[in-house]
Amino acid sequence: MNRYDLITPEGTRDLLFEECAAVKSVERRLLGIFSMRGFSEVVTPGLEFYDVFDLKSRYFPPETMYKLVDNKARLMVVRPDSTMPIARMTATRLAAQELPIRLCYSQSVYRNRPSMRGRRDEIRQTGIEIIGSADRRADLEMLSEALEALDSFKTGSSRLELGHIGFFKALLSRLDCDADTKEEIRSLIEFKNFPALGDLLDSIDDPADAAALRQLPRLFGGEEVFEKARLLTGADNAEAENALAELEDIYAQAKALGYSGEITVDLGLVNRMDYYTGIVVKGYIEDVGDAVLSGGRYDRLLSEFGLDMPATGFAVNTDSVARAEMKYADYSVKPVDVIVYGDSAHIPEALTHIKALTAQGLRAESALFGDLGDVREYARSKGIKRIDTVTDTVVTENI
Amino acid sequence: MENRNNKRPLRIALTKGRLEKDTVALLEKIGYDCTAVHEKGRRLILPVGDDMEVVLAKAADVITYVENGVCDLGVVGKDTIMEQNGKFFELLDLRFGRCRFALAGKKGDNFYEGSHIRTIATKYPNIARAFFEKKNMDVDIVKIEGSVELAPLLGLSHAIVDIVETGTTLKENGLEVFEFICPISARLIANTVSLKLRREEIEKLLGEIERELEK
Repeated sequence: MNRYDLITPEGTRDLLFEECAAVKSVERRLLGIFSMRGFSEVVTPGLEFYDVFDLKSRYFPPETMYKLVDNKARLMVVRPDSTMPIARMTATRLAAQELPIRLCYSQSVYRNRPSMRGRRDEIRQTGIEIIGSADRRADLEMLSEALEALDSFKTGSSRLELGHIGFFKALLSRLDCDADTKEEIRSLIEFKNFPALGDLLDSIDDPADAAALRQLPRLFGGEEVFEKARLLTGADNAEAENALAELEDIYAQAKALGYSGEITVDLGLVNRMDYYTGIVVKGYIEDVGDAVLSGGRYDRLLSEFGLDMPATGFAVNTDSVARAEMKYADYSVKPVDVIVYGDSAHIPEALTHIKALTAQGLRAESALFGDLGDVREYARSKGIKRIDTVTDTVVTENI
Repeated sequence: MENRNNKRPLRIALTKGRLEKDTVALLEKIGYDCTAVHEKGRRLILPVGDDMEVVLAKAADVITYVENGVCDLGVVGKDTIMEQNGKFFELLDLRFGRCRFALAGKKGDNFYEGSHIRTIATKYPNIARAFFEKKNMDVDIVKIEGSVELAPLLGLSHAIVDIVETGTTLKENGLEVFEFICPISARLIANTVSLKLRREEIEKLLGEIERELEK
């Protein structure tokens, strides 16, 4: 029989020393930023009922969720996302709160992914949600927090990318084809699959809007994107024009937020079409093969929990950021400044001495040996430079 | 620690074998020096031109390397993309490595006759499953690693789902194509972040390849 008592499940890992320090440093830094900007931290349960994630606007393929059954035979999942539980919580417990509600969180989500692909099943995310404001100020505030988060990373260059799901929806809504085909078009645009998108759109009898959609995966870059996009949309497509104007305004204002990296636009950011309703955002850093920050406006989600309220937010994948930071920042474990040894008659005094040292800002540990020779050997092997021996007096020895 | 300003060369993963040769020929046509690839010996990472390097890998690994961002671009067959899936951009149909996926079996068999559950042998279980799911057919799929044609001949399966190029192997073994599933060719794929962070380099190469393919 195989026993699995010495390994962790695929896609999960123990975090030791440097790795743990890096992840916690990123998390604390982000929570610090969010807290300073008026966000309150919340924690939602690791287990939720399946129904919380069985929504019209956000589809989680059932096979990607870790499921279990409670003692009443109800289907539960290990949370695959934090925004849905926070929406549930807001709609039920915070419905009477003054708006807007600013919440932040730092917790893991779990996705059952195809194994052996180098991807994680346990993903640590730290993020914010601004609930109850449809004002453009809320979008810009979210962006300014995203930019501050990106700027706080001790990594190579970063980049923020903006999109607007409304532009794509406006083009798509005028196309005469069924929902499955529309979903296929969306997926091909998301993955910038030029060849297949071209073939599919060739088969649709609507030259103008099909031509615009065909160009959508290429519509990324700087300011010039807006001009190109305007040329593609018919003058009569007011919805597309509005989305574009909103994005252009937000893009211009975001550039005035004092971010050190580059802000770009990608009109082909069309993931989760049913979930997002406006501005969408992704953040990238050098050396990481996937977006480390992702979010946007989702005005319909809360209504699925019975409270019709606009909202926006983003989450940072802190594991990826931490891994990238380890290349640039030193997270190695440092030995304590002092090791304190008390002889057998002075153990409480030695521990009290440690409190005095830490009060001075020195990191100090207690020697757990009965012999000063063993303490010296241990200190040498650990790289501890100072031994304080506590008897009736304290003797400091530098080694 | 790595130097922040010292970017590594643009890295492109090639599927070893025929796609590798076709890609190298294409790169040479548009002016990249591929001498190192011709004289590779057993090396697997090779410089191409001044600011690019080629990584030689098995088809499925090309996707894995690109998906995880350790390679920026990759050349891989549509067959592998369909079988393995994943999160990357599929930028270009390179138009070489063309063949087709097909359902095939013993010559003269009527595959769709009768209500029994069919057994399908294939190297591509995901593609086979998706194909029959679309037809709302339950089938048993047996994964075979080598010559799939053997399975129906030995009576292990009713049919096979496999790549068909000329059809010679099928014919010589008394098999025939029942149905074509879809065409296949080599694709240029890109990591989702690389396309954004190294856009200029990638678009330059993309433009050069597109112009060459249009010729």
